[in-house]
Amino acid sequence: MVGRVRTVAVVGLEAVTVTVEAHVAGGLPGFSVIGSWGPAAGQAADRVRTALAAVGVAMPGRKVLISLAPADLPKAGARFDLAMAAAILLELGVVEQSRVDGMALLGELGLDGGVRQVPGVLPSAAALRAATGVQRLAVADGNAAEAALAGGPEVVPVSHLAELVAVLRGEQAARSVPAEDDGITAEAVPAAASPDLADVRGQAEARRALEVAAAGGHHLLLLGPPGCGKSMLARRLPGILPPLRADQALELAAVRSVAGLLGGPTRLDLRPPLCSPHHTMSAAALFGGGSGVARPGQLSLAHHGVLFLDELFEWPRGVIEALRQPLEDGVICVARSRATVTYPARVQLVCAANPCPCGGGDRCSCSDDAIWAYRSRLSGPLADRLDLAPAVEPLSAADLLSAQTGESSADVAARVAAARAAARDRWAEAVSCNAVAPARMVRRSVQPAALRTLANAVQAGALTGRGYDRALRVARTCADLEGSETVGTDHVLEAYAHRLGLRPQQPAAAGPAAARPSAVGPAVAVAEW
Amino acid sequence: MTADWAVELSAGADPSLVERILRLATAPWVHPERLRGVVEALLDRPSVAIDDVIAGLEAEGDARRRPLPEPAEVRDVALILLRHGARMAIVGQPGYPPRLNDAWPELGAPLWLFLRGPGAILPSAPTVAVVGSRHPTVDGVQTAEALGRLLARHGVTVVSGMARGIDQAAHRGALQAGGATVAVLGTGFGVDYPAGDEAVREAVAAAGGLVTELPPGCGAKPRHFLWRNRVISGLADVTVVVQGRVRSGALHTARLAAAQGREVMAVPGSVNDPASRAPLDLIRDGATPLTRLSDVLEVIGLSGVRGGSAAPASPAGQGGPIPVAAGLSAEAGSLLTLIGAVPAALGALARAADRPVTAILAAVAELETAGMVRATPRGPVLARAADAESDSQ
Repeated sequence: MVGRVRTVAVVGLEAVTVTVEAHVAGGLPGFSVIGSWGPAAGQAADRVRTALAAVGVAMPGRKVLISLAPADLPKAGARFDLAMAAAILLELGVVEQSRVDGMALLGELGLDGGVRQVPGVLPSAAALRAATGVQRLAVADGNAAEAALAGGPEVVPVSHLAELVAVLRGEQAARSVPAEDDGITAEAVPAAASPDLADVRGQAEARRALEVAAAGGHHLLLLGPPGCGKSMLARRLPGILPPLRADQALELAAVRSVAGLLGGPTRLDLRPPLCSPHHTMSAAALFGGGSGVARPGQLSLAHHGVLFLDELFEWPRGVIEALRQPLEDGVICVARSRATVTYPARVQLVCAANPCPCGGGDRCSCSDDAIWAYRSRLSGPLADRLDLAPAVEPLSAADLLSAQTGESSADVAARVAAARAAARDRWAEAVSCNAVAPARMVRRSVQPAALRTLANAVQAGALTGRGYDRALRVARTCADLEGSETVGTDHVLEAYAHRLGLRPQQPAAAGPAAARPSAVGPAVAVAEW
Repeated sequence: MTADWAVELSAGADPSLVERILRLATAPWVHPERLRGVVEALLDRPSVAIDDVIAGLEAEGDARRRPLPEPAEVRDVALILLRHGARMAIVGQPGYPPRLNDAWPELGAPLWLFLRGPGAILPSAPTVAVVGSRHPTVDGVQTAEALGRLLARHGVTVVSGMARGIDQAAHRGALQAGGATVAVLGTGFGVDYPAGDEAVREAVAAAGGLVTELPPGCGAKPRHFLWRNRVISGLADVTVVVQGRVRSGALHTARLAAAQGREVMAVPGSVNDPASRAPLDLIRDGATPLTRLSDVLEVIGLSGVRGGSAAPASPAGQGGPIPVAAGLSAEAGSLLTLIGAVPAALGALARAADRPVTAILAAVAELETAGMVRATPRGPVLARAADAESDSQ
């Protein structure tokens, strides 16, 4: 006879049902766990044995064997404690097998028998929605609300192993989780924490670029001297983005859950996330990593939200290069020794940098070609990913003293929402925002004169072919913000102007002069003086 | 007996002198500063004979136990020079640039020069040096090019230093107008410096000439360019500084020109523009400001050309109203009056014009694509002024 219960393992975001079998027999006393598990097996054994003793189930001089199946699935963490204890209780006949049929268990055990919360409950519960034969999920109190968000099996919160025993023996009714209208329709968490755009004074160009970026999902580079308010602006972007749809919020919550960052939410958080990793952060922390099975990094924690890279120039070039793939695919694939996992990574990128090599400001004496060279190195790997590069100006004393506040986030968000709605109507379900719309479809709604204007810029060498299509997408967003069905010349010109700060190098002059031998070259390495 | 190569290398100068001096020029320890030391020791004599200078240098080599190269080595260098199509000119001898002769000996003219170019380099025609920053603004490049074009069109030879930035812009302008331009190098022949600009060097060599006092293969060192500057200023009747920052090399050239008794002119820029620091300092110290490009023609005595032209100054000239291109929107047209040679931030333009920033963005893009303004990293600047000036001549 073998005690058999179910639990759920999480590899990345993928949840897999795991069967826990317990065999208790005579022989040399011991407690072993088999089934592709790390060195923490011994710790789980000690926790489970002590917790069982705390509820009066002592196993002196018995040989306990626990098997986790499928055996080749990498497993880690303390999440199987509760299921192991339940399997042993079954094996010992404390609980009848019929009582645990159709139930899965997830939780860590304390030495006193208390049940503690574990990460990754949301994706586990969501996976059980599809699994056959599981109607109930026992989790720690702290995980109960999270488990309920998934809208999967009935949640049985247990605070102590003794409570589980009582419930399974029918001596006590299972508590129910406060009804959460299945979580999915939960209202947005009040946006109290989100800073308001009204705090930003002046900065007309940057504010406009932020609005366009929000409306079209375009990636943004803020250029300005230190202290002019680049981070301040970036932190206000989530506040003007539309709230997440329920399915998006669930995806994000699952990532947070796996990272152990979800806490105990009672409602689904619909605010777009903002992650601002520091440039000294390791690539593993940004993209996801860790031994055995990778945990999600900042990139995935910013899923459906904003990834803010301050001091773009300080970031190692390799890290920036590595960003290109996930920006394109919307997912990041991380391989580690025990598993290769895929995390979602659909982010809107906001970068910030000094405008020139010396940092900028009033006393800047950098030459134009030094600045061009700096800029092209700056945006190099991301050059064809960024769409807007507004200059963030240093605040003047007049701005600081003026009592006039800027337009509030709510007003801007309303325009952004309207523009996004217009885009959604046009693209239907196929395209989530203008930034990822196929060029062919965008061109269809552009007036011929506007197309010609931009084509001339390509011919003059001021725009690359790829830049042409990207400028058209931004122009589409400018038109949406204005409520215009077609994209006109003014929209195209605005989009072109937003790109001026990104131009890798001074273009050859237009007209006959374009045939000059060689224009001013990049900075010469050997100093003449 | 004189070697064949010496005869071939000497552009009309005494071949035995060429042989003797090339031996000195090839020695790594002989350089302009050492030459200057020897010349200065002789300055109290009524006249400084070339023979004395050569003897002085040779004596210095003996005193320092620095041997001169073997004749075979000298011959190899001569053959390299001949392969480059170069000649050697000696001060006081035929083939040496006459303007530079005037600067011998106390004003620092070099004892010898290596020359490449068609025919005689720098005949008696007027010569103007256009020098400036290696890191110019767009406006500076346009000014230097326009100056080069203007001078070349009036038969003036444009001298500069082949450095990237203002120097090359001046050469380029002269080449565009099909005129003569001479570059004084800070390296020997056969060195790719500035790297990758072979095409410009060859174009200048064909259209005027290349000049250096360094032996072939001698690489770029900071002091080479300081030495070079006295040759640039010495070759020219007038030195024009277009742009330069604090402690600029152009400032050095201008000071040398003044010391050699040549005219110094400077292109005034905005007091806010760090790239115009050197010319503004020169004007403060007495240099002639270039209020319009044609001022430089008057200084070299070509003023009649301008007055003689019956065509009235085009309205596109500096100071006149800027022509509004056909088809320019009203928004762009009115914004154009706010844009000058110093970059303005878009936010500042929006405030000054009292227009929404979207309108400013569109107008700037319209002007940029129409070639009326140039985008610089700090904001848009006017693109037309410099070109319009020279085209009106």
